[in-house]
Order: sequence, then C-alpha cells, then structure tokens
Amino acid sequence: MSILTAEHLIKQYGREPNIVRALDDVSLSVEAGEFVAIIGSSGSGKSTLLNMLGGLDRPTSGSVRVDNFELNKLSDEDLTVFRRQRIGFVFQNYNLVPVLNVYENITMPIRLDGKQADESFLGEITSLLGLEDKLSRMPNMLSGGQQQRVAIARALAGKPAIVLADEPTGNLDSKTGDEVIRLLKETGRRFRQTIVMITHNPEIAEQADRTIRIEDGKIHA
Amino acid sequence: MKRQDSIIHILTSRSFRQKKGRNIVAVFAILLTAMMFTTLLTLAMSMEKNLTEMYLRQSGTSAHATARDITDEEISVIASRPELQSFGRSIVVGIAENEELAGQQVEIRYGSEQYARDSFAFPTQGRLPEAEDEIALDTLTLKRLGIPQETGQQVTLVWRPDLSSDETVYSTFTLCGWWEGNQSSYASMAWVSEDFALDACGGAKQPAEGQVLGQRMMSITFPDTGHMEEQIDSLLSECGLSDLEFNVNLTYSGEFDQMIFQECLPMYLGMILIFVAGWLIIFNVFQISVASDIRFYGELKTLGATSKQIRKIIYGQGNRLCLIGIPAGLILGYLLGLLLMPVLLHASGSDPEISANPIIFLGSAIFAYVTVILSCLMPARLAGKLSPVEALRYTDAAADTNIRKKEKKSRRGAGILEMAWANLWRNRKRTVIVICSLTLGLVLTSFFYAKNESFDMEKYLTDLTVADYQIDDATNNLADGYDPESDTISETLLSEIGSIDGLEETGNLYCRQISGVLSETARANYASFYTEDRLQEFSSYDPSYPQWKEEYDRALAGEAVPFTIYGTDGPVLEAAVSDPYILDGAWDEGAFSTGNYVIAIGPAAEEGTGQPTFSVGETVNIEGRDFTVMAVVSPLQPMVEGSAPVFEVPLIIPSGVFTQIWPDSSPRKYYFNVDDEAMQEASDLLTAYQEEEAPGMNITSRQTIAEQYEAQTRSSSVMGYAISAIIALVGVLNFINSMITAIISRKREFAMMQSIGMTKRQLKKMLICEGLFYAGLTLIASYILSSAAVGIIVRAITAGGFSTFHFTLLPLVICTPILLLFTVILPHICFYNLEKQSIVERLRQAD
Repeated sequence: MSILTAEHLIKQYGREPNIVRALDDVSLSVEAGEFVAIIGSSGSGKSTLLNMLGGLDRPTSGSVRVDNFELNKLSDEDLTVFRRQRIGFVFQNYNLVPVLNVYENITMPIRLDGKQADESFLGEITSLLGLEDKLSRMPNMLSGGQQQRVAIARALAGKPAIVLADEPTGNLDSKTGDEVIRLLKETGRRFRQTIVMITHNPEIAEQADRTIRIEDGKIHA
Repeated sequence: MKRQDSIIHILTSRSFRQKKGRNIVAVFAILLTAMMFTTLLTLAMSMEKNLTEMYLRQSGTSAHATARDITDEEISVIASRPELQSFGRSIVVGIAENEELAGQQVEIRYGSEQYARDSFAFPTQGRLPEAEDEIALDTLTLKRLGIPQETGQQVTLVWRPDLSSDETVYSTFTLCGWWEGNQSSYASMAWVSEDFALDACGGAKQPAEGQVLGQRMMSITFPDTGHMEEQIDSLLSECGLSDLEFNVNLTYSGEFDQMIFQECLPMYLGMILIFVAGWLIIFNVFQISVASDIRFYGELKTLGATSKQIRKIIYGQGNRLCLIGIPAGLILGYLLGLLLMPVLLHASGSDPEISANPIIFLGSAIFAYVTVILSCLMPARLAGKLSPVEALRYTDAAADTNIRKKEKKSRRGAGILEMAWANLWRNRKRTVIVICSLTLGLVLTSFFYAKNESFDMEKYLTDLTVADYQIDDATNNLADGYDPESDTISETLLSEIGSIDGLEETGNLYCRQISGVLSETARANYASFYTEDRLQEFSSYDPSYPQWKEEYDRALAGEAVPFTIYGTDGPVLEAAVSDPYILDGAWDEGAFSTGNYVIAIGPAAEEGTGQPTFSVGETVNIEGRDFTVMAVVSPLQPMVEGSAPVFEVPLIIPSGVFTQIWPDSSPRKYYFNVDDEAMQEASDLLTAYQEEEAPGMNITSRQTIAEQYEAQTRSSSVMGYAISAIIALVGVLNFINSMITAIISRKREFAMMQSIGMTKRQLKKMLICEGLFYAGLTLIASYILSSAAVGIIVRAITAGGFSTFHFTLLPLVICTPILLLFTVILPHICFYNLEKQSIVERLRQAD
C-alpha cells in the first residue's frame, strides 16, 4: 500500500521571462515501511521536492497524497496540524529549539498538538539513540551527532506516517554521519517507519531500500 | 489544553529570558508610556476635582439647586418629597458691618445642619448654635475680629435690620463653633440659632420689600446630577409649586463639564501624543525582535506550531513586559503627578487635593496595555503568517524591501556613502519609524518653546496693573458699593509714600456716583447698540440682567440713572487713554488738562462711533459744570475694577477738576512707580499699613502679579517640556535600539566585507554615514514640520491675547549639533564592541 504518492508535481519560481522550474513533472510513490533515498546534486530540486512532500510548501501544480490526505485541499492551518501529526522532519542543521532541553525538544510537536507523550515509547527511542542520560541537556551542550540524534528522536516521537530527512548527515563528519544513518535505518526498521531521505552522497544513498535519482527537476529512473 | 498551554508557556518564558537587551529597552519604553499616562490622568482628574471644589465654593454651596423667596410651608412640602437626597434651609438675618470686616462679606443667618454642610460652613470644632445667643463663625472672620479660636468667646456683630436706614444694631453672641474659612468663597457665614433669627424678624414669614431680614432659603440635592432642570421641574410640579424658582448650581450644568474638559484637554492631547510615541518605539522593538527571531518561529512552524500558537508566544512576551513595566510606570507616574499638581494649581492658593481615583490607575494601565498590544499586533501577524519555507530563508533586510529595484544603473562602484545610503533603506519601515519617533519629540519641543516664548509679559501686566504698586480703598470691592467717604488711602499714608526715596511717578483715582440723565444722542447710541440679539445673549449669562434691564429702560426713558465719575491723573490716565483703548475720538493731553473735557467709557467693544454712551463732541453736565466729550475708551481693568452699580455711565475727568467739585475726597485707588532699589521699602510700608490700619486695603504689585503669572504658567510649560522631553527620549531610545540591532544583525555581513578587503576605517565610516543620514533626514523633517507648527499653529493660537508672536526654532537649533554628535558616537561604540571578536569568529557564527 502506498503511504505517499506524488503526481505530476511542478514547482516554478520567479516570473516571465525568468521562470525557474525547480520541479518538472515529478511523480513518485513510497510504500509503508520503506526507506527511500532521493539523490541529486546541488540545485537538482531535491529539497524543493521534500518541502512539497512534507507540506512545507505548495506545488505550482500536481498533487501530493500522504496517508490518504490530499495536501492541496488543506488550509495553511490544517497543513500545520497535519505536519505535526503525520510528518517527522530531520534537517541538515538539526533545527533544535535552543531554549528547550533535549526532552522538551523531543516532545515539543506532541505537546504543540495538545497531547501527552507516550513515555514508554519515548524511553525506547531515547535508549535506542543513546540519549537517555542527556534528556535535561540544552542543545548547545551537545555535539553535532548528538543533536542530530535528538532530531531523529523528535521526528519519531509522534509516530508519524513518514519521516522526511533533508541531508541529515550534511553537517557531520563521515564517521558520525554513518552512525546517524545506521540509527535512522535501525529505528525505521524497529518501529516499521517509512523514511524518505535526501542526500547528495551516493554512499549514504546506498544504505536505503530504494534510491530515486533527481536531476534538473526531473526523476531519472 | 493544559499541556498545550504549558509548552507555549515554556517557549514564551525561555525565549523571553534570552532577550535581555530587548527587554530592557521595551520595559523602559512601556514604563515611560505608562508613567506619562498616569501622570497626565492624575493631573486631569485632580484638576477636575479641584476645579469642581473651587467652583462649588465660589457658588457658595454644594447643593444641586437653591431657592430664595420661598415660604416655610413651601419648604416643608418640598422637603417631604422622596426624590430628594437631602435638603437644607436657612433664614437670613443680615450682613455684619463691623469695621474690622470691611472687604469681607459676613452673612448672619440661621442654617440647618445640612444647609451648613452644603455651604462648606459646618463647624469642625464645636457645633452649630442651639441657644439663642450662640454663634458659629469661620476662622477668617474670627481672625479679622481678633477673637481667639475658643468656645465661650464673646462676639459682637453690627448689622442693620432695615437696609434702607442707617440705624445699626449691636448683637452679642457666645462662640460655640468654628471651621476653616476659605478665601475663594464669595462670603463667610455667621450661623445664629433659629430662635435668634425668628426673633430678629419678629415672626415675619418673608422679608419686607427691598429687605433681606427674614428671607427663607432652601437648598436641595438629588441622588444624581443628570438633567437638573427636568428633575427640578418635575419635583415642583409634583408639589404643585410650579411658580417657585430654583437656581441650579452652575457647577452641575453641562457648560461646567465642558469647561473642565477644556481645562483637561492638554492632558488628553498629551496622552494621545504619548500613545503615538509609545507605539512607535514598542512596535519597533517588537518588529526588530520578531525579525531577528524569524528563523526560530519558522522552525516552530515546520515542527507544527500553528499561527495562533506563534502569535501567542509574541503576545505572551508583550504581557510579561507589561507586567514589569506597567506597575512601575503607574507608581512613578503617580509620584510625578503628586509632584506636578501643586505647581499646576499654584494659582488657586489653597493646597490642591490630589485625586486617587482608581480610574487613574485602571485607565492608565489599560491605555498602556492597549499601546503594547497594538504594537505587537503587526509583528505577531508577520510571524504567524510567514510560511515555514519563507521563515527559514527570511533575512531581516530582504523580506521587507524585496529589492524593489530591478537593476541599478550606477557604474561608479560601491562608494562608502552610497553603501550607507542603501543600507539605510534595507528596512524602509524601520527607518521611517525611527525618523518619525525622533522628529515627533523635536517638533513638539519647538512648538512648546515657541508658544511659551510668544507670551508677552508687558502686554499682560498692562492689562492688570498700570504701575509698580496699586492700592485700593477698603470699600472698593464691597457688595453694597464703594464708599467715597472711606479714607483708607489717607493723607498720612500718601505722605509716607511720598517720602520713599526713588519714588518715580504717582497717580490718583477718585470716584463718585452721581445721578444723571442721558442725552438723546446717547440714548440713541444705547438703543442701537443693544440689539435684541445682544440683549438675549446678555440675559443668558448674566444673572443681574433683570436689574440691569430695569435701569436700562429707565435710562432710555430719560430718567436719572447712576453716573460714575472718575477723577484721575498719572500713569492710570495714560494707560486708560492709550491707543489700544481708544474706541472713538482722539486723546489730546493739552486739551484735557484745561478741565473742559470728559472721556466716556464704553463697553469692551470694537472701535467705531455709536458706542453706548455719550458721543464724541457732546456736552455733558456734571454737578453744574459743562464738559465736552473728547473720546470714548474701552474700560481699563486697573481703573474700573471694583464694585459698581449694575447699570452705570462711567466718565473720566482730570483729578484736579474732581477735587474742585468734591474738595474732601480721598482716592479710591492710588498708583505709584518706584525704582528697583525702593521696591522692598515700598512693599514693607504698604504691608505694615495694611496690617495695622487697613486690613481691607488691597495691594496689587506688578512684581507679585508677574511672579504669580510665572508660577501659574511654569506648570504648563513644565508639562509641555516634560511631554516633549519624554517623547524625545523615547525617540532617542528608539534610534539607539535600531542602530545597535542593525549593527549586531549585520555582524557576519561586516566580517564578510572585512574579509574581502574593507578596512576598519572604511567600515566605521560607513556606519557613521548611516547614522548621519538618519540624523540628517530627521533634521530635515523636523525643520520643515517645526516651521509649519510654529509658523502656522503657534502664530494662530497666539494671535490676540497677551502674546506677541516670534518665529523661533531655537530648541531645534540647539538639538542639531547634539543629534549629529550622537549619531557619530553611537556607531563608534557599537563598532568597538564588534571589534572584540575576530573576523573568522564572526564569519563562523551561524546566527
């Protein structure tokens, strides 16, 4: 069963005569529990695609369907709620909230949703990611790898439909990067989590179940 | 719901604590705003309270309405009505005519307890009289009579049971109570028992024609002060006494409210200005803070915070700032109000009461809070509305302007000046707000300065005094008229004044009332001057109109009416016939001194012939001598001030001629000038004479009037300057805040520019140029707007009155170098702080 389907996505920036077509008729689908890597060079449109899939940005035309939600039909406010309930993001620069400690960062999307975190599930995630003794640390006291592990925990904590990871190893040295990918893959398998990851590094892409190559806004099979 | 609140709460409070610098600026701005609101409201409310009190005292009663010409039966019918909150009644006996009381009206009356309370004359020590020989007086009267404040003291009052005869009666009482007298009351009360009052009028139910003895009076008070006339009408018709006339206390009329509003208008306008200034800075502080935090809000949004939740964080921070700034502002503002109030009401003499009405605090708090919330409104919407992708990319400078220019033709390359100028407009809105904020303060200062400067003390003084000193006969202001036989200004006093070294100029004013008949021309002048409209208007505001009209009709019918003859010389004559006062004819000193001419005083009206008095060239007969009318003048206050018949025809003749006609005259008023060294001697001499010989004598000195005026206006200028100073301070604060944050947020940009070869000197020069551009634009705007404000508004409001308009922008000229210096120093300091980090360190910093 496809948990994510994108059909004929087009995203244009700018106005005539300087139109930049960041996505040019992209269609793809991801099965539940799959770990997919989208690979492409800088400027290929892979980040734009991820923004569309996560409901951060709207396509010029085409449709995205996640977990039976047609994203085009959601208002901005509904899209926000959709995001915090069904999408887990992992960013290249971690994007942790500097004023919140590790535990608060992890639970923030759940609490923004007005819900209580499932403590036993949280305990499982944090111990798997090796964060259990760092829960009260502030982000600026953590190394890059540790911060990215917090971001992964945050992405998983809400039991989302998909985790979207945007160059999760981009800011890390290769050893730490490998470790993070390993954890991402492991947690994904453990919790049967669908993961879509963007990278420009073929070695990292190889770790995924499937690789989709994107170049100049088009998918190359 | 609780949980959701708590994460927003945590985010709000943690991010709040992170922004110490912003918080200090914002709290300071909120504090100043709340403080000025409180001060201005305190002043406005206290002003209202004191003015109401003053007017009530002047009207003599705090009751809503009073009736005279009422009978005991009518009083008891009205008193039984349930719609009244309270009532008081009084029986008039007469007016005390003891010599020591000259110049002060003391009414001998019986008054019920409520009546005494309504009249501000309820004994604070002792009680109201009960036994027939008891009396209660105020401290002013006791002091005049030289009686100590002690019950059991004997008090003897002289009064006339029959006002048409000169026969006086001496009544002796025992003092049973007293209260603090008030200078602004029109008369003092001497309360006697009801038995004494009834005895005195021999049981009469109402006074005889033209008398006051036995007159009943009633004061009534309703539960509320709205629609007074209608309340009274319905009360009287319910009682079947529609013919009865109650006079509404003017203090409770709508006009009075309007007057109070006008008095307080400057305060309300000040509040609006403070609101604008407060908005300009608080808005800017929040705008800057949101702009610098926009990535943070973007992240939150990506992770699922809704617009509402983000707005909540920003408002939450505003609330926290208010929680600190407003209470502190309320306290400081009230203290400042306490400090300024005495200055503001200095003129009224008595200690002003400061209102502690909760509305002051509630109103100021709400007003300040609304200012803050309105200031947060736009930044909060901006943060809430941004899409997450935009927010993550947002940089402070670009989003606002969005680089409107498509291209730039310049090929000169980026000069330091051009770069500085371009930087200034990276955030158009902020630059405009800072310039507005600074300009507002400067323009206001210029405005108040020009307004104060235009006041012309000489013009003001001439209208109130014509000489360094003026003394008035003790009977000058008596309710039953000036007594020409009174010789307060005695030969002895005049010779003492004459012996002052440094006496420069003296002048006499003699005065007598005679009966005279108007000529036909004069009657025609009157008839054409007092048109129906004028009479109508006159009757609407002057309570003495009916008596005036009676005399006026007699005058027109050719019957004898009072003529007031002034005999005068010296400075008062010169002032009375000076150019601005001449309405018709021309002043000829030589001709006037021949003693064949008379000057007629008309009303304070516009120039031209046909003034309601004798026409120029007519002949007037005074005590058998013929005079020709030389000119018609408008009345000069220092000459005509004092009691006068309701209807009179005032005429001026030389004092020499006056003393020929009435050889045994002492002056009603005397004027003299001394040189500066002799001022003290003259003051001492007059005060000593006043204390020992003539307590009723009034002394007016140019010096004290000038001082009084200055004391009176000091407050309004202090207020004006205080408001402008605070607004200017807010402007400067706004400027500092914007400049510093602009520099800090461009830390990396500067490091980048230094890394590609910009020297420290060049960078510093660029920042200083930015500052100078700010100052330059502010100054251009300030000069243009101040010129307009001074040249148009100040010119308009100072037209007429005691002002002489001068165009001045002095405060702006003084502020110009200060502002320029400031804009040079500030970037210097910021740059110094920036320098502490190396270029590489700054380049590496992510945010």
